[in-house]
Amino acid sequence: MKSQYFGTKEENTWCPGCPNFGILQAFKNALADLVNEKKIKAKNIVIASGIGCHAKIFDYLNVNGFYGLHGRVLPLCFGMKVSNPELTVIGFGGDGDTYAEGISHFVHNCRYNADITMLVHNNKVFALTTGQATPTSEKGFVGRSTPLGVKDKPLNPIASAIVNGATFVARGSALNTNHLKELIREAIKHKGFSFIDILQPCLTFNNFSPYLQKHIYKLDKNHKVTDFRQAFRKSMEWDYSFKEKDKIPIGIFYKIKKPTFGEQWPQLKKSWYKVKRKINFKKTVEEFK
Amino acid sequence: MEKTILIGGKAGQGTAVTSHFIGKVFCALGYYVFNYRDYPSLIRGGHNFNVLRISDKPVYSHKDKYDIILAFDQKTINLHQKNLKREGFILGDKTLKTKRLQKIDIQPILSKLKAPKIIENDILIGWLFKYFGVDKNFLLKEAEKVFKGKKTGLIKKAIEKGYSLAPKKERLKRVGSKKYFISGSQGIGIGALNSGIDIYIAYPMTPATPVLHFLAGKQLKDNILVLQLENEISVINSALGASFAGAKTMVGTSGGGFALMTEAMSLASISELPLVVYLAQRTGPATGVPTYTAQSDLKFAVNAGHGEFPRIVVAPGDSQEAILRTQEAFYLSLKYRTLAIIIGDKHVAESDYSFDTLKVSPLTNQKFILKNPPKNYKSYKITKNGVSPRAVPGQEPVIRATSYGHNEYGNTIEDAKWTIKMNDKRFKKVRYLEKEISKLNPVSIYGKGKNLIIAWGSTKGAILDSLPELKSFRFLQVSYISPFPKKVIENEIKKSKRVVLVENNATGLLGDIIAEKTGFIIKEKILKYDARPFVSDYIINKVKKKK
Repeated sequence: MKSQYFGTKEENTWCPGCPNFGILQAFKNALADLVNEKKIKAKNIVIASGIGCHAKIFDYLNVNGFYGLHGRVLPLCFGMKVSNPELTVIGFGGDGDTYAEGISHFVHNCRYNADITMLVHNNKVFALTTGQATPTSEKGFVGRSTPLGVKDKPLNPIASAIVNGATFVARGSALNTNHLKELIREAIKHKGFSFIDILQPCLTFNNFSPYLQKHIYKLDKNHKVTDFRQAFRKSMEWDYSFKEKDKIPIGIFYKIKKPTFGEQWPQLKKSWYKVKRKINFKKTVEEFK
Repeated sequence: MEKTILIGGKAGQGTAVTSHFIGKVFCALGYYVFNYRDYPSLIRGGHNFNVLRISDKPVYSHKDKYDIILAFDQKTINLHQKNLKREGFILGDKTLKTKRLQKIDIQPILSKLKAPKIIENDILIGWLFKYFGVDKNFLLKEAEKVFKGKKTGLIKKAIEKGYSLAPKKERLKRVGSKKYFISGSQGIGIGALNSGIDIYIAYPMTPATPVLHFLAGKQLKDNILVLQLENEISVINSALGASFAGAKTMVGTSGGGFALMTEAMSLASISELPLVVYLAQRTGPATGVPTYTAQSDLKFAVNAGHGEFPRIVVAPGDSQEAILRTQEAFYLSLKYRTLAIIIGDKHVAESDYSFDTLKVSPLTNQKFILKNPPKNYKSYKITKNGVSPRAVPGQEPVIRATSYGHNEYGNTIEDAKWTIKMNDKRFKKVRYLEKEISKLNPVSIYGKGKNLIIAWGSTKGAILDSLPELKSFRFLQVSYISPFPKKVIENEIKKSKRVVLVENNATGLLGDIIAEKTGFIIKEKILKYDARPFVSDYIINKVKKKK
């Protein structure tokens, strides 16, 4: 199977040169690899998206999908997974989508550790609504709704995910598609809640490509992904502000084995739509007589 | 024979359990029982009470004049003895202060039994049933069944002690076959189980929580999944994810949680995923009077969600109906890929009703999922009745659901033509739903008078119990609010001399809907919005006074 299999003929309306194209390609490549390696089945792949530029990916992918509401990607993913444990569930969210409107779902899904993968297109701006600040916009960011500049520190999603119990936490870059593809593969293969914050500069409203290219580096092999303290320390290395001396690590910060949500529920063995029920009304109401 | 007993005390003293047990024993003797629960929002202390009405004829509501008061504390006496009938009495510990007390010296009995204070209830229960002349062994057997292993030995000893202290005043005999004794919440739960529910998701909120508890307790035995998630927004979106992937799914909440869910009700509509939502009304707005009843969310349920879309709204009036209407909600929601809302309230949810038999809906328990979807499958195929055959992910073709304007494949569109087509497709279902619902008794008519009482939901019980005193009245109970059974309601109104609306709210919401749908404005309204349910005497007085 080639990665083109996962493409569609729908017209792509992302801005020319948008790094989202890099994410789309990395994702298709990762899926093709995993299907070819028989790690997953194409028919069992299902994606969910929120609302925003990232969400258009729904139309560009030839897989099962649920184009949901702004901020609600993770509940959809969680519901699909508990409904059918055979599915390979992948959520796409934006930074506004996931960290503003959807932050409660993000925190709790880190805790639940259901076997799903969450990919966040983080451009540190609301793009489709034409350039407002999000929770990961840097202090001082001037957008159309914040002409006086953002007054608060950005949220650090990597640190949040680690602290809240995600069992696979990574950062990728939409500009490094091969590296990103590898991260996505690992994330999907991981049993448990996998999260990748993907830096994806918005060429129109928040072009931090030059900064990203200058400051980015790959986590080296000595980084121990199972060490919570080390992972947390690494997550604090960059606070999502554009400071002159900072370096931005990409790669897997944290990866541990923990029972998944589904493994802990005796009922979650079979897809519910395949369950055959024998219902005995007389018996169910016996206790009331 | 008819008795009304009030059982009152502090929260934590076991008034609800005591009341339920007494009710159970009478049901076992073949009596009809109605049990009303009244409790404020606190865990220990305050004042809780239950009103049990027992009769050898069917009863569907409680009364506010009591034959007996079972008092666990002084407050019960202070608050309720004004409503004690002239020949009535109060039963309780000797330290209680009232002239009408049948006193028991409880402390020495508890000391002798080495029993905690809560066992006092069982002493009183024993006393009461001896007074009624009920056989002791029969009583003890029922106690064993109800309390199953929970200090049963001690409970039985306490009952026996109480029994030994009482005079035998009456000779209540078995009057018929054993009755079912079931609350509205249990009815909803049973209805869901009989619909083949797979997943129930909720966030705790009174008075919907009993359904969460009931189903959670059944999940291993009945192989269902019951989840409590971080908030109602997650609850309903997860439920839609689960529904998309093929599970029969239901969520439950009250007004505040329902408010949070409305965003995703729009999503349920445009994505055309089946979902059953149980809305247990309580007194609002906002936190309101959270453990008390109201019927003030009717128009909210009918209009919930942004954008225009059809939905099913059904209102059960007691626990038997809760079973049937829940089954119907599942069936219709799955068959038509349409949101179904079951609108109940605290009064139906937490009252216990008695029945000779419990009925189950004959609607077949299908999944409505295509076994082998074709290669060229379209998730939103336009069909004659607007229903696209449903397939679920994991089957060969690509399956799509979307919140966005879309074509038949579920691909995003924003053009005018498809926007209209898909809107029309969703509304096409209404005509077919109306036809289907017309066979499900969307309205019920009781009595034969030339005048008409119109009501919905939990007021049913008190109105039914008023009818014998209101011979010139028929009672029209509206069960389906959406799609609205317009014609039959119109006809009934037209052929009535006097039309009276009875609702547990301040503005007459069903009256508004009737006006909107039929053009008929009901001027005569009996409305109650003190957070308490109707009793029949109240309705009878109001109807007679207005004449």
